[in-house]
Amino acid sequence: MRAVSKKLKFKLGRLALALALTAIFVASLTPRAQAEVKPAYALLNCRIVAAPGQTIEKGKIIVRDGLIEAVGPAEKIPVPPDAEVIEASGLTAYPGLISAHTNLFLDVKEQDQPQNPEDYFSSFLQPSEPQEYPDLLVLKGLKPKLTTVQAYHRAGITTVVVAPNRGIFQGQSVVLNLNGENLNPMVIKQPWALHLNFTTERGVYPSSLMGTVAFIRQKFYDTQHYAQHWKKYLASPAGLKRPEYDPFLEALVPFVVDKKPVVFQCNNQEDIKRALKIIKEFQLNGILTGANEAWRVIEVIKQARLPLLVSLDFRAPATSLFAQQGEAARKKAESELYPANAAALQKENISFALTSFGLTDSSFLKNVQLAIKSGLSPETALRALTVEPARILGLEKQLGTIEKGKIANLILTRGPLFEDKTKVVKVLVDGILFNYEEKGQ
Amino acid sequence: MNVRKINLIKINFLILTLLVFLGSAVPLLQAGGNLLIKNAHLLTVTKGELKGDVLIQNGLIKQIGENLTAPAGTRVIEANGRYLIPGIIDTHTHIALSGTNEGTEAITPEVNMADVINPDDTSIFTALTGGVTMVHTMHGSANPIGGVNVVLKLKWGKPSEELIVKEAYPTLKFALGENVKQSNRILLPGRPQRYPATRMGANAIIRRELLRAKEYLAEWERYEKLSRAKNPPANLLPPRKDLRLEVLADLLRGKLLARCHAYVATEMIEFLNLAKEFNFKIGAFEHAWEAYKITDELLAAGVGISVFIDSWAYKMEAAEGIAYNAAYCTKRGLLVSINSDSGERIRRLFNEAGKAVKYGLTPDEALKLITINAAKQLGVDKYVGSIEVGKQADLALFTEHPMSAYTRCDMTIIEGEVYFDRDEIIKEREAAAAKKGGN
Amino acid sequence: MRNRPETILTYFLVLILGFLGFLTLSSTSLASPEDSSSERLLAITGVHIVPVTGNEIKSGTILIKGNRIEAVGEKVSLPEGTTIINGQGLTAYPGLIDSYSSLGLVEISGVAATVDNRETGRINPQVKAIEALRYDSMHIPIARANGIVAAVVAPTGGLISGQATLVKLNGWTNREMVIKESLALVVELPGIRGGRRSFMGMGGQAAVSTEKALAELKELFHRARMYEKRKDYASQNLLISPPDLDETSLFLLPVVKGELPVIFSVHADKDILQTIKFVQEEKIKAIFYGVEQGYKVAGEIKKAGIPCIIGSLYDLPPLWEEGYDSLFLNPVILNQAGVKIAFSSSSSSAAKDLPYHAAKAAAFGLDRKEALKAVTIYPAEIFGVDKDMGSLEKGKLANIVLAAGDILELGTTIEKVFIEGQETDLSNRYTELLEKFKKREKK
Repeated sequence: MRAVSKKLKFKLGRLALALALTAIFVASLTPRAQAEVKPAYALLNCRIVAAPGQTIEKGKIIVRDGLIEAVGPAEKIPVPPDAEVIEASGLTAYPGLISAHTNLFLDVKEQDQPQNPEDYFSSFLQPSEPQEYPDLLVLKGLKPKLTTVQAYHRAGITTVVVAPNRGIFQGQSVVLNLNGENLNPMVIKQPWALHLNFTTERGVYPSSLMGTVAFIRQKFYDTQHYAQHWKKYLASPAGLKRPEYDPFLEALVPFVVDKKPVVFQCNNQEDIKRALKIIKEFQLNGILTGANEAWRVIEVIKQARLPLLVSLDFRAPATSLFAQQGEAARKKAESELYPANAAALQKENISFALTSFGLTDSSFLKNVQLAIKSGLSPETALRALTVEPARILGLEKQLGTIEKGKIANLILTRGPLFEDKTKVVKVLVDGILFNYEEKGQ
Repeated sequence: MNVRKINLIKINFLILTLLVFLGSAVPLLQAGGNLLIKNAHLLTVTKGELKGDVLIQNGLIKQIGENLTAPAGTRVIEANGRYLIPGIIDTHTHIALSGTNEGTEAITPEVNMADVINPDDTSIFTALTGGVTMVHTMHGSANPIGGVNVVLKLKWGKPSEELIVKEAYPTLKFALGENVKQSNRILLPGRPQRYPATRMGANAIIRRELLRAKEYLAEWERYEKLSRAKNPPANLLPPRKDLRLEVLADLLRGKLLARCHAYVATEMIEFLNLAKEFNFKIGAFEHAWEAYKITDELLAAGVGISVFIDSWAYKMEAAEGIAYNAAYCTKRGLLVSINSDSGERIRRLFNEAGKAVKYGLTPDEALKLITINAAKQLGVDKYVGSIEVGKQADLALFTEHPMSAYTRCDMTIIEGEVYFDRDEIIKEREAAAAKKGGN
Repeated sequence: MRNRPETILTYFLVLILGFLGFLTLSSTSLASPEDSSSERLLAITGVHIVPVTGNEIKSGTILIKGNRIEAVGEKVSLPEGTTIINGQGLTAYPGLIDSYSSLGLVEISGVAATVDNRETGRINPQVKAIEALRYDSMHIPIARANGIVAAVVAPTGGLISGQATLVKLNGWTNREMVIKESLALVVELPGIRGGRRSFMGMGGQAAVSTEKALAELKELFHRARMYEKRKDYASQNLLISPPDLDETSLFLLPVVKGELPVIFSVHADKDILQTIKFVQEEKIKAIFYGVEQGYKVAGEIKKAGIPCIIGSLYDLPPLWEEGYDSLFLNPVILNQAGVKIAFSSSSSSAAKDLPYHAAKAAAFGLDRKEALKAVTIYPAEIFGVDKDMGSLEKGKLANIVLAAGDILELGTTIEKVFIEGQETDLSNRYTELLEKFKKREKK
């Protein structure tokens, strides 16, 4: 028995070694960032802005298994023996920024206007049904790219809502943590909300804005009727005509009946009013996004008390007054009036989130700075990119501040956030470290 | 009295004083502006002409007469003999809207122009420079049944909801003829032509939709009866709410007036028949180029027209239009208004009305075509359309008689607030030029 | 009774002479421009006269002999046989001249078969408006009935649209209407917003800029000059073969020789300046049309001595930021800077509105006398027909309008219109249809 077991042990040992080596080899194939073993980190001696208005001058953050294990003044936080130490003096830690409206990773570009006569004609050979996607789960079509993730990290953004971008009923968004290139591990909330946009179809009903409004309302009424009919039928089908299955209406039921969140894209001040009217009519759990002309209807917004996802895109809408009075007037509005949108909301104590919707990572930062120059306080700006979006997304228990138990989404900057020369040098998402330190720093 | 009571009285007195002080500092709740217009040549439209003053308070005409005075602080406008007329009303436009037609389907009454008001449309200001204060802004003429229209006051700079004139008749746009048939359009490859392609098809589709609306009404009535019954059936469900048929049902119930774009005589005669068949009311025919051919029928039906004066010969159906149309129909007893249907013509609508003098009307009759007649057609003649005490102070100031080709609008006022002031614009230009010159 | 041949012949001759005499005595149709009696005498008496050049006469007489004005004055002695027309309560004006229209080329703008003013292609100097002009257009009698006696009819489209013509609004055929068959070459330069010309409202190729357009013209003019040089040389020297037919050059020759003026449809201030330079370099005769931003460069236009035809004032200002009234102030400023201006209807169906464009400019500051001149004597001068038209003066053609008031006013009815001494028929499409349906009225 002993001889056999020794031989066996040896064989088993070799097998185990082989297996271990294979495992390590396989593990090494997957990108570094997707390493299944998430080390613990200890960030030392950095300035910590754990939440807007809560600063620790010299502190420590302990990260383990993707979560914040501890955060506080340096002298109060012991460093666990297994933590990888990151010396962070001279750096400031902020909660990772959340952009609650983006079109990141979407495979298909928004429908462009046909440029050539041939394209124009062929666009009319499309099916005669409106291209609407209330049941579209945007997650299904996403193609993440590491370079995009890295670019967003450099802008300080670690969490994004990816929203669909086509049609009136655009589909349902997903909340992602930008922790790599693999889609499924990114998902925080799926789906989040139904997205609507005040746009039109081309060549089919509704091809006008007034048609769109009627279309949306009719669909919502139909959903109510549909749900009512199905409810009755399912409770007691005897003697009742079976309602016809309708995937469009089926997709809308959770939002119209169960009051899941519905996001309305408002491209000008009148869209805001249109959205509020519909939200009120159907008692929806409404959220407004875009709202670049909120400053023109501030009283209405104040009364409505709805979550706001305010875009930092300062271009004057084509229908706006400022786009109709000559180039000089338009440029002036785009450099003075529209950037002051957030400041106007701040002045009225209206809470809002800011988003990178419509912008690239670099223009996002630039525009945050312009918004601050136009009167938005840096603290409110931080709030609008951390605490407030976390709250609107229903993720305040997991994101938005650097707090024990929350997800380890942090950015480490050299310099105060939102200032011109400031650079993001390190990013943690779900406790995974991304280094952006440039040589010579 | 004990000290405590005295202190209480002192405190109450202080509070009272504070409230009074605050109260006087807060301006009176203003429904409109206050103005005193002096030394104007007033064309009241309904109560003759006179030279004098108009006092406006809280947006209403308070007093008309000579040598009027106003409370301190009221802005005084020196008219210097210039002509003051009621604000011009344009009963057919498409301005101040984001979109004109939902042309993908023939029947779209569910769309509502009040949902797409664009207060930023510079056409609003353009219209003000022509003395226009109110417009009936409509769905276009692409569809036999287009959409619900809205009447707006051109309060440039105010939020969209403040523009809506709630007192006006609610109206539904109908259209007949070439635009509806899409006869001047290129047929795109691969797409079938939209129904209707003929005038008879247009009437047929209107009839069909009204029959469906009747059916819809009946369905709801049946449901109401059943649900109110002692033992309503267990499987009773309300009918599907159909926004399209709801609007048509309102037309049948008399809650909406039809405004029908029609050019040739047959279209109008047949639409009158449709209205009889389904017992709905017509507010007016739009454009009605051949109205002069059928004045008897229009008079009998009590339906007025809203027309151009002479902008004709752009389509076959306008080829028998004559410039005498408006004047002749007025003389025959029809209620006639002149409209612009254009963001350019709107600023010379007063010139268009002035042409009617050549074609047989007096200047006073011509002025009615763009003031009180228009107000009557829109159902707001109680409030606007003439200069009378108690009416809303919608006014326009002209350098010459408004029916003269040499006249110019200098100021436009809505509910006592000045929305267009040529003097101020000139001053601003001079200041800007001086600034430039000084640099 | 013998039937002698002489008797029968005599009877026959008497009959024929009698018949001819009868024909002669019966009046010819009002619309016929070929008047058999060129010495016919007509006098309008007791009428308020606005000669346009010279002082108004409160009550006077205009004596017409044949087709010309024999005398205008407070007291004019009338020869025997003068037909007298009582002008009491009326005002006599020279007939109005429309400096730019599509009369006779466009009937119903939405019906392509009736639209004849736009040829395909960009370079069309050989195309002549007179060759398509329809006398029987329903718009011509309507315009005439409002006091317009002559009009420029212009083609449009492309860069070189074709040759405009100057016609009187009376005649049984287009040829009978001609005053100047080939009045000017029409060249159309880009508008103020230049930029992308869209296909069905979407992005397309960029329109040619004025700079490029003028460069192209320069090249074409040069080619035309070289063409002529070669033709001349070949005609003198048998050994030199003549050039191949170059239609474009052939029809541009009168322009480059300075004989045929060019009407430049030009709009933006920079473009106007460029065009002035071009005109001076090429040594051609020019008239500007449109010139919406002319007021910005009025001094330069005046210095260059180029007259300006104002485009329709039934339009919006091209640029919002230049002010809501910039379109109306434009002719005022040009006129005050000394530029010769003329108004146009720029239409066919609204040609009768010519006087109201003038009045609109007057509403914004144009001197009223200047406004009237801009639809009478100034266009006559611009088009080189002022010896014959544009004012009520002895020797000029009897183009006279009798109006029941100010001819530029909206409400004024026109009682009579004389073109070259002939009283014209004022009935038109409007009046015909009205009369027809008035018959329907139940008594």
